Amino acid sequence: MSAEPTTRRPTDTPLPGPPRPGAAPVLRWTVRTHLRTWLGWGVVLAAVSALYISFWPAMGDNQEMQALVDGMPEALVTAMGYDAIGSPAGYLESTVYALLAPILLVVFAVGLGAQLIAGDEEAGLLELESAGAVSRWRLLAESALALVLVTAALAAVVGLVSIAVANLVGMDLRTGAVAGATVGLWLLVLALGNLSFAVGAATGRRGLAVAVGSGVAVAAYVTNALAPLLEGGEWLRRLSPFHWYLGNDPLNEGLGLPGAAALLALALGSVLLAAVVYDRRDLGV
Amino acid sequence: MSVVIRTEGLVKDYGHGTARVRALDGLDLEVAAGEVFGFLGPNGAGKSTTIRVLLDLLRPNAGRVEVLGTPPRVGGPAQRARIGYLPGELSLAGRATAGELLHHLAALRGGARADRIASLAERLSLDLSRRIRALSRGNKQKVGIIQAFLHGPELLILDEPTSGLDPLLQHEFLAMVREATAEGATVFLSSHVLSEVEVIAGRVAIVRAGRIVDLDDVATLRHHAGQRVELHFAEPVAADVFAGIPGLSDIEVEDRRLRCLLRGEPDALLTVAARFHVTRWSAEDRELEDLFLDHYRMPVEEQEPEEVGADVR
Repeated sequence: MSAEPTTRRPTDTPLPGPPRPGAAPVLRWTVRTHLRTWLGWGVVLAAVSALYISFWPAMGDNQEMQALVDGMPEALVTAMGYDAIGSPAGYLESTVYALLAPILLVVFAVGLGAQLIAGDEEAGLLELESAGAVSRWRLLAESALALVLVTAALAAVVGLVSIAVANLVGMDLRTGAVAGATVGLWLLVLALGNLSFAVGAATGRRGLAVAVGSGVAVAAYVTNALAPLLEGGEWLRRLSPFHWYLGNDPLNEGLGLPGAAALLALALGSVLLAAVVYDRRDLGV
Repeated sequence: MSVVIRTEGLVKDYGHGTARVRALDGLDLEVAAGEVFGFLGPNGAGKSTTIRVLLDLLRPNAGRVEVLGTPPRVGGPAQRARIGYLPGELSLAGRATAGELLHHLAALRGGARADRIASLAERLSLDLSRRIRALSRGNKQKVGIIQAFLHGPELLILDEPTSGLDPLLQHEFLAMVREATAEGATVFLSSHVLSEVEVIAGRVAIVRAGRIVDLDDVATLRHHAGQRVELHFAEPVAADVFAGIPGLSDIEVEDRRLRCLLRGEPDALLTVAARFHVTRWSAEDRELEDLFLDHYRMPVEEQEPEEVGADVR
């Protein structure tokens, strides 16, 4: 086997020049590594959304349902967001856009956000990349971009399935408003996913990232649901990212720009702060 | 001769407050271009910490560090593209195949020399179509070796490189190191096993508790370590015949057999031994391990007199 060691490097092979980064290698590898899981989430989201919307003729489009809700305590109705469950937009919001989709997607995004830097770092999987010819900024930026793209794709799945199935069961919805609400859903999920990603990138600790991301998500959900029940609780509600997303009644009115801007600011700000810390800290790789 | 790695007074602490641990305590290193430099010490001595500072994974608390003429903090990805790194504990996971991972790592360097992946895999008998998570430890180590050598780096930083490799592959690995140095590469080889570096290293630094405690070329270390010599004679010999021979110590004579430790040339011993009828002889290099142990035994020996004194009383 050592008979011809000198032929190992063909002399006609050109020497490597300065490194030219390929097209987003970290992003492509992240997609390659996670794609199967992501497709699974897409299937689940599509199925659950379709299932709930298909109940519309039996549940929402039905005077008994509205009568049942009218008979419930007002506080419970407000907290559950059932105020307008008898209307197509109200039903879609109560079931999919304000409940199932954000909960599933936030669980997904907080988990993935914590995994992308902190989880891989704790498992020692980032060692070759971190020690390789890629800057920390680039590693972080391409990982964050993966989170942006996959959450956008999954939110789009919810939006497209909602429009398609709503058409099938004869729900009268404004497509533009559903599209706006879908963008809002994406921004909410991205903001909370990025928060988890940012805590993980800044500290290298996956558990802490999940705790902060899911803690903020639960607090935001509860605040949005219960603040209206408190005397003068409206200002408290304005602190909740769920309110930023739902406050404008997006399925009727479309996405509210101030809320969207607040979600975008949380998404971008957390990652930018994390990048500054990540660039300076020791890596556990 | 240019210097490829230089550290001066490197200090690195982990943790904060009372949990603060000093991993590097004023580490000074100078590795010249083209040499194979052995970096030896027990686990926890600061070897991996040093390497991670060289690769800009860790930022030192004090001291200076330069790799290929630039501080790692400044050199960034362009500097690391000129380095091949094999981690001591390589963690690989996932559904992707070994070949996909190697192409990904090559893509991080702009795809440099990706065409060599197949030939290197063949050389180390690695099946590129196997999934990473199904690879044995030895096969993962092959992936690590290939990605370290792939782009023909100017500096190879190898941490415990032959762990998990069978003897045939160790041989192949050593051949790859020799070829790399023949083409001018510098090799920084870290290990806690001396025999791993002895065969290829020129100079060896011994690190302990974050400091360099010894630095010499392998031949000098070998000289200090000496040889265990055993001679058998046709007739019984007297011990005092061998007393005073230069470089000879630990002399044991038992009937017709002499055992001793020889440092330096054997000429004087052979001249004396030739006065008798020698029936058998053997001379064995002491493992550098023994010398290594000498270093670590010192503090223990310093404590012994106290214990003896207590016993006498």
